[in-house]
Amino acid sequence: MFFLHNLERRVTLHPSYFGRNMHELVTTKLVKDVEGTCAGDYYIIAIMDTFDVSEGRILPGSGLAEFTVGYRAVVWRPFKGEVIDAITQTVNPHGFFAQAGPLRLFISSHLMPDEIQYDASATPAQFTNNADIVIEQGTHVRVKIIGLRTEVGEMWAIGSINGDFLGCLQA
Amino acid sequence: MASNAPFQFAGDSDSDDDNFNPAPADVSDDENAAQSSKRSAEKSTRRGSSPAADDDHSDEEEEDERPSKSASKQSRDAADNDEEGDEEDEDDGGAGRHGDDDEDEDEEDEDDEDDDDDDVQHRHRRKRRKDHRAAFFDIEAEVEDEDEAEDDEKDGEEIEDFIDNAHPDDIAESGHLDDDRRHRELDRRREIEASMDAEKQAEILRARYGKRAPAKGYGEMAVVPKRLLLPSVDDPGIWAVRCKEGKERDVVFSIMRRVEERAGSKDEVPIISAFERGGPNSVMKGYIYVEARRQNDIMIALDGVLDVYPRTKMILVELKDMPDLLRVTKTPNLEPGAWVRLKKPAKHSGDLAQVLDVTENGLEARVRFIPRLDYGVRDDALSARTADGKRKRPGMPGPRPPQRLFSEVEARKRHPRYIQGNPQTNTWTYMGEDFENGFQVKDIKIQQLEVKDVNPTLEEVTRFASGSEDGTENLDLKALAASLKDSNTNVAYVPGDVIEVYEGEQRGVIGKAVNVQGDIVTLRVMEGDLAGQTIEVPNKGLRKRFKTGDHVKVIGGSRFRDEVGMVVKIVDDRVTLLTDQTNTEVTVFSKDLREASDIGGQGSLGQYSLLDLVQLDPTTVGCIVKVDRESMVVLDQNGDARQVMPSQIANKLPKRRTAVAADRNGSEIRLDDVVREYGGQQRQGKIIHIHRSFIFLHHNATTENAGVFVTRAGNVNTIAAKGGRATNSNSGPDLSTMNPALKRNPTGNGNGMQPPKTFGRDRAMGQTVSIRRGGYKALMGIVKDTTDTHARVELHGKNKIVTVPKADLIFKDKVTGKTIDIYSRSGRGGFGGGTGRGGFGGPGDRMGGSRTPMGAGGGERTPAWGAPKSTARTPAWGRGEASGSRTPAWGDGSRTANPYDGSRTSYGDGNRTSYGGATSYGGGSRTPAWSSSAKTPAHEGFGHGSKTPAYGSGGSHDPWGSKTPAYGVSAPTPGASGADSWGYTPGASGGSHPYDAPTPGVGLGAPTPAALNAPTPGAYSAPTPAAISAPTPGAWQGGWGADAAPTPAVGAPTPAASGGYYGAPTPAAYGGAPETPAASGEIRYADDD
Repeated sequence: MFFLHNLERRVTLHPSYFGRNMHELVTTKLVKDVEGTCAGDYYIIAIMDTFDVSEGRILPGSGLAEFTVGYRAVVWRPFKGEVIDAITQTVNPHGFFAQAGPLRLFISSHLMPDEIQYDASATPAQFTNNADIVIEQGTHVRVKIIGLRTEVGEMWAIGSINGDFLGCLQA
Repeated sequence: MASNAPFQFAGDSDSDDDNFNPAPADVSDDENAAQSSKRSAEKSTRRGSSPAADDDHSDEEEEDERPSKSASKQSRDAADNDEEGDEEDEDDGGAGRHGDDDEDEDEEDEDDEDDDDDDVQHRHRRKRRKDHRAAFFDIEAEVEDEDEAEDDEKDGEEIEDFIDNAHPDDIAESGHLDDDRRHRELDRRREIEASMDAEKQAEILRARYGKRAPAKGYGEMAVVPKRLLLPSVDDPGIWAVRCKEGKERDVVFSIMRRVEERAGSKDEVPIISAFERGGPNSVMKGYIYVEARRQNDIMIALDGVLDVYPRTKMILVELKDMPDLLRVTKTPNLEPGAWVRLKKPAKHSGDLAQVLDVTENGLEARVRFIPRLDYGVRDDALSARTADGKRKRPGMPGPRPPQRLFSEVEARKRHPRYIQGNPQTNTWTYMGEDFENGFQVKDIKIQQLEVKDVNPTLEEVTRFASGSEDGTENLDLKALAASLKDSNTNVAYVPGDVIEVYEGEQRGVIGKAVNVQGDIVTLRVMEGDLAGQTIEVPNKGLRKRFKTGDHVKVIGGSRFRDEVGMVVKIVDDRVTLLTDQTNTEVTVFSKDLREASDIGGQGSLGQYSLLDLVQLDPTTVGCIVKVDRESMVVLDQNGDARQVMPSQIANKLPKRRTAVAADRNGSEIRLDDVVREYGGQQRQGKIIHIHRSFIFLHHNATTENAGVFVTRAGNVNTIAAKGGRATNSNSGPDLSTMNPALKRNPTGNGNGMQPPKTFGRDRAMGQTVSIRRGGYKALMGIVKDTTDTHARVELHGKNKIVTVPKADLIFKDKVTGKTIDIYSRSGRGGFGGGTGRGGFGGPGDRMGGSRTPMGAGGGERTPAWGAPKSTARTPAWGRGEASGSRTPAWGDGSRTANPYDGSRTSYGDGNRTSYGGATSYGGGSRTPAWSSSAKTPAHEGFGHGSKTPAYGSGGSHDPWGSKTPAYGVSAPTPGASGADSWGYTPGASGGSHPYDAPTPGVGLGAPTPAALNAPTPGAYSAPTPAAISAPTPGAWQGGWGADAAPTPAVGAPTPAASGGYYGAPTPAAYGGAPETPAASGEIRYADDD
């Protein structure tokens, strides 16, 4: 789910950048540092704007200046139970990996309808029910998140396509 | 319970005897109890006669057992009691359902009147009133009757009746008379029953037993005995008698036999019961327990019994300990397939064995284990030594043979006569032992097995799995994991676990454990009717509960211990999870799981941890890609993943930080560089190990082998070298994107320095070349046309014009075919020479002019540059040596020489490639080098001399403007590049650094980054040359005043250490300087990327 979230971050700036456009640089650096990262259990998708750029403080020892910057960002937090669309990345006999934006999902073969079976003989390998559903690399799937794991700088989920309206999205 | 049988036997002997051997049998009682025994004889006789006729016989007997038992016991107690006393005793024993005798009698009278039926015999008044069977109906009647109040009394009275009636006269009368009739009656009844249809029968039965609700009397009995049955001081004592350990049961059996034998004889065994609480792990082993009135009785009873030592001190068991003696402990259940250790055949003690079967009496188990056979090899040695040669010494002399599967061939070699068997089934008998599929199979007493805490190691179990004769491994790890599951370990619940009750009354209740004490788990119920309540449930029948998606960690005995993963599937108590570490699915029991708070998993086994490089054998190394509890998976250098145990690893190879290899293009690669395979699957990864020509790469995108793969160093292209990675947060802030200075000149960013402009026609045109690499490798041709980077070459061999990177060309002399350097030959270096000769045009000219003399003074102006025919270095060196004056300069430490190293390279490549190839510039590695060596000292000189003007003049051609910084900028570059390209020679880079790096640091603004990046070494080493060069005014002069320069350079050998050194390169410096700065400045940034 997407949220607008007010956040704060300390940005350090190298002395060589000290000058008139420092704040601009701070913002640039903030955007560069933060956008697209995973902050624990959510991803920071985009920074809307910054406010409250504090005055810089020189850090003793290094000479870098530290700014505290408040900013508003669009964040995405996947939830357990949430249904998201993803793109299949790799398929193996145990299940398949899919990517939903920055989030990697694994859909175990246990978490698929029974009739969907792994077919190793197909190229590329696929999960199929020998009818309309074919899940291979690149297939768009609709997945329900059933478990989430968060690590520093990474999130990781397992999903299920066992349910109504889940599974392969026909184009 | 182990002791049940003997105990019951001993304890029940009286009553049993009573039942079946009426009068005479009862002598088992004490002599003292003679009177009372007479009594009980009466009773039993009566019983003996009556039950046959009754279809409730068995019921009764059960019910009657307790009373009669205690009765007989008590009868013994009260040795001198009179009959009345006995009667009372028996009343008590008879469940005390009735009041006193008087009342009984009254009621009996009434009963008499009521009673009507089978009054066939003439009997005692009381007896006649009811069938003898009534005696056994007491309980039956009680429940059966509609109005219980009344009947209770009746029943009680009947019992009284029954006891009273046990009169010798009666026995004589009734027993025999009735016998026949009763049998017939029974037969009749059975017939009738059989003829009835099942439904009717069922109805009757229901009518008869349906109301058998827990009867009043019984309910009491269930409660009362607990207290009442506890032993008191009046009860016989129990003595613990030493016996041979492990023979407890045998002893008890022999006592039992003795009791049987002597029953009825005059020397009857005077004990009441005997039992044992032995067992391999019991604290009570080595003792049997005998219940008797007096200690002396035990002596008599046990006299002459084997393996028991009544003469040693007997221990009287204290009253309060008696109940504990009989506490039932569950003996570990041996199941086929379980692992045990052998204790007994000394040869095999400690060996792992697998239970194949357990005998029905639970005393022996059939196990299989790996034999330790020497096939008679040692027999000979022994027999040869012993004189008689008849028998070898008992026990195992010397070390026991190693465990090896049985080999028929071996056995036949020496003992063809002792072996027989079936090759089809692979079962053999050899020397009296059985062998199946190579394993020895043997029945072994359970006492001689270690059942608990077996902890089989993977190695041991592996040997069992490798069942085939040759020992090839066919180990199914899955099965192994299951078998390794230590069933003995109890489930440990900790507060916070979510637990489900799956057995018992509370079944289905789900709650969170709040407290665990011993076997009792306190649950706070989370769902259902009881939600919110706290209940206590026994450990048994609980299981942990997980949901799909839970993040769990494997604990306990599973092979997957410490794996962490997410639950994907749950079937009963089997949970499948997807491990974090390897993204594989494992299935474990829920008891072995716990909610995981931490991340990751087990990463190490002993000293080996994931991704370590290990030596498998002298020629093979591998990278650990998976670590299990007792084994690991190693990806060896050939790309094969194999399962190894720590013992199979020779040693661990420490990570060599300095290891370098050359990639496909010949550029060096180090640890942590990101490279991509050339061809093949084009896998990309970060280098984690370099071993000889193999590199182990790691990439997160693949899960196979933990993302590790191996390839040859020569088969990869560098994607990003460590130092140059933009995202490397450790190397300090990323200055490339935001540095204002850079923004001013966006074009140069990242692409490296522009090649120095050459003017006029490319010298390569028309040259004869040979191609160094690619599909046209080794072909000769003529350059028809060139661009900055590429040349179109008309091949000699084919009529074809191909486009080849200039860098891949080797210029040949048209006539001799020798390799030449067109730039140096014709122009004294595309650029060094150019400078001198005006190659640089105006600006260069001035400088060149000034320099030339210097160069000339030195003998050849180009020493460092042009002299080289193919490589710049040689002549430079040679020349230096020849001139003598410079030698010291060369010799001056590693550092001095190194710049030359640097220069040489650069020239070699620089001249050829560079000018053409932006690549080399971009690479930043080589080109700068050329400037480095030559220039640096000059810069130093400049820096110190603060001859900015000179710079200015040089710089005027610089696109950047006048900049002093420009010089500075250029200076550092070589440092960086020198290091890069000559990484093999640490000296080289070290040497160039000092020169280069410091310069910017010293005085120049823009290059700050350089200072940041390599400040330290520069700072330290820089001063030295500077110091040397600076003081020598001549050097400065030389640097500046072109004319003056040569003199000191040549003439002042001593300072020449530096001075001379400077002398030569200076020109180059001059030449180079104007251009380099900009270009190299960019390189610096590029490096930062």
